Amino acid sequence: MDKAIDNRPVVVIGMVGTTLDAGHGPRRWERWRPTVALFQREDTAVARIELLHGHRYTALAKHLAEDIAAVSPETEVVLHRIDDRDPWDLESVYGTLLDFLSAYTFRDDEQYWAHITTGTHVAQICMFLLVEAGFLPGKLVQTSPARGASKEPGLQIIDLHLERYDAIARRFAARRDAAVGFLKGGIATRNAAFNALIDRIERVALASTAPILLTGPTGAGKSRLARRVYELKKARRQVEGPFVDVNCATIRGDGAMSALFGHVRGAFTGAEAARKGLLLSADKGLLFLDEVGELGLDEQAMLLRAIEEKRFLPFGSDREVASDFQLMAGTNRDLRAAVARGAFRDDLLARLDLWTFRMPGLAERPEDVEPNLDWELDEVARKTGRRVRLNKEAREGFLAFARRAPWPANFRDLSAAVTRMATLCDGGRIDVDGVEDELARLSAQWEVPRTASRVDAVLGAAAAELDRFERVQLEDVLAVCCTSKTLSDAGRTLFAASREKKTSSNDADRLRKYLAKFDLSWAQVSAP
Amino acid sequence: MLTIDGSEGEGGGQVLRSALALSAVTGTPFRIHKIRAGRERSGLLRQHLTGLNAITAICNADVDGAVLGSTEVVFKPRAVVPGDYTFAVGTAGSANLVLQTVLLPLALAKGPSRLALEGGTHNPTSPPFHYLEAVYAPLLAKMGLTLGLTLERWGFYPAGGGRFVADIKPVEHLTGFDLLERGDVREVQIRAVVAGLPEKIGLREVAAAVHLLGRDRDDGRVLSVGGGPGNALWIKVVCEHATELFTAFGEKRVSSDQVAERCAVEVKHWLAANVPVAEHTADQLLLPLALAGRGSFRTSAPTLHTRTHVDVIQRFLDVPIALVEDSGAWRITVG
Repeated sequence: MDKAIDNRPVVVIGMVGTTLDAGHGPRRWERWRPTVALFQREDTAVARIELLHGHRYTALAKHLAEDIAAVSPETEVVLHRIDDRDPWDLESVYGTLLDFLSAYTFRDDEQYWAHITTGTHVAQICMFLLVEAGFLPGKLVQTSPARGASKEPGLQIIDLHLERYDAIARRFAARRDAAVGFLKGGIATRNAAFNALIDRIERVALASTAPILLTGPTGAGKSRLARRVYELKKARRQVEGPFVDVNCATIRGDGAMSALFGHVRGAFTGAEAARKGLLLSADKGLLFLDEVGELGLDEQAMLLRAIEEKRFLPFGSDREVASDFQLMAGTNRDLRAAVARGAFRDDLLARLDLWTFRMPGLAERPEDVEPNLDWELDEVARKTGRRVRLNKEAREGFLAFARRAPWPANFRDLSAAVTRMATLCDGGRIDVDGVEDELARLSAQWEVPRTASRVDAVLGAAAAELDRFERVQLEDVLAVCCTSKTLSDAGRTLFAASREKKTSSNDADRLRKYLAKFDLSWAQVSAP
Repeated sequence: MLTIDGSEGEGGGQVLRSALALSAVTGTPFRIHKIRAGRERSGLLRQHLTGLNAITAICNADVDGAVLGSTEVVFKPRAVVPGDYTFAVGTAGSANLVLQTVLLPLALAKGPSRLALEGGTHNPTSPPFHYLEAVYAPLLAKMGLTLGLTLERWGFYPAGGGRFVADIKPVEHLTGFDLLERGDVREVQIRAVVAGLPEKIGLREVAAAVHLLGRDRDDGRVLSVGGGPGNALWIKVVCEHATELFTAFGEKRVSSDQVAERCAVEVKHWLAANVPVAEHTADQLLLPLALAGRGSFRTSAPTLHTRTHVDVIQRFLDVPIALVEDSGAWRITVG
């Protein structure tokens, strides 16, 4: 907080308080009169007051000017008559004050205080608005009666720059974080693009009831995000019905119609009881259709009508039912290509992709691996009641791999990996061996040959500071080093081309200097 | 440069006023820092600033830090210019304190001065006008300094609005005195003043004080004046060798009887101590006696306030000041 003392002369702009400031006779000094109180403090000096008064209060204003002169001879009192025909009319008061302030010359070598203890509440609100809007470049000030042993009236200065109020700023930040954290499920993600995406989704979700389409690879968290959007909207009382989550791939074929739209009793063989259907279940709630590209064309037509009309016909029924739901859909397929193939209705796509957000895969958010790892560990604790930790080495080993891994099934893979490690570990601690086993499992599952990174092995945590460009170079240099008998051998291999052209004479020295850039010595990188 | 720690002792304002007066008289520049350090409101308040600005005006001083809330002031005086000045004090603060700041520098200057002082004339936090008139001016007269005081308007807290004029005849050298015995009580005057308040307040105060001190009803009188609101009760005790004046102020939720009792208790304490100089007068005498170069008086035990004051004086003047306990009282000897 900026506590620098502002030594510029103080100029107060205030209104005559027709009730509080009034009073004749000696006993007026025994009362608290806000405008006079401004001048009754030993630690406050006011160079000038611009005192505004209505035409009926000229006498009172002059009287106040005399009293101010008595208690503050150093203060200049300037009276201004203003139009106060309707002191409770916001428009009129605001206009009058704005006219006064617009004509007033504010100087850089003076500081201004807007006194808001006097005047009608409307006038006080106007003063506040004018200060806030910058028409009165200053601070709000209010006075209060003397309290306790003090004989001096109180004086409070209110600086409208809210960032100066630490406590308020913290509360705002906490609320904002809570809202953002809501959609992120409390995961402190660091990927800037992802965080911006979540902010956009939040804004759209809260401002619109139009369908939202989430695209992106499988396991990127579409379904989880849809549930969080539902919970956010529910917290803000935008929905009151349930969250209905449907994976369209699982309801293909004959049962799809009835699962989605319901059926009446006897609609088809075996339909012994009526079925409500998922769309009707989602009434006043949120329906999430994951893998929406898997829906059949008939179902797509029904769905389109249900979105547009908020009504549809249950299977076998001749009476329409109404259901008003917020729709979200997810897909990992290119729906445009599906439209081109005739597998997806273009009019349905047009309805769905008004708001399309692409969820990035985990491989695109390497900086979010760690917060998600922690979140998964929290989830394990929540589900099993047992807190599991990775020791430092194990954590570094896992993250070094995870930040560069392909994660084809994204969070599904990560969640499975953490669950496995947590289940197999002893005593709630996942060690390096546990991580190594899991990484081998993942590599095998993904069928990618897992060559342990020599850069990570020799540099440890410092490896994270390398550019990708440097890393590939160093990786290859280290591979040569650990298969060479001596520094010179390695140098010869690495600088073979230069040797051919005889442009390099001391390969060993060149290699030593290169390694030294990474604080590495030959002993650290040579074959064991 | 001479540096004074403004947080020392307890007399924040008194230290500043004395230092300013001494600086103007001696021509010694000084720096005071940590002004009122450790107080709820540190730094210069309006009343201090008024005194500082007044003395700056009479000696054309160069001043740094003369702003509200300042905790450090550098003061470089020039020759004192006697003449006519008007000083106004806000918040009904004491105009008398301003007089005390500039009086001695002007009295020791080359010509007469006339000061018009506006603000509070009767203020609980400083010696009221009637004290200056009855006690302070006569003591200065003993030292060769003629100070004429005329009250034009009464000024009470919180309305202020008072005014008095001080005529100062210059003196080349102050002469010290010795005031060691009080002598017998010759006269007691009990006076209540009511400004803008019912007269009965004053009547009750006077009656109570007369009763408490066992005096005659004729010793009391009530003055009903304009302005205000305000009320004070003072008791002037004239003895063979010394005169003292004690004041108590009426305030909300304090009865007239309580006001009378507060004042009478002070009178009784002083009479019982059997010293010529009351505690509050001891502080007023230190500076003029130190400038005179010699003198002595008997008073009650010196307060921390007095000791701090002695320290400040000795920073500017090479004059010994001894505080010696003497048969239940204290003897303060300068020179």
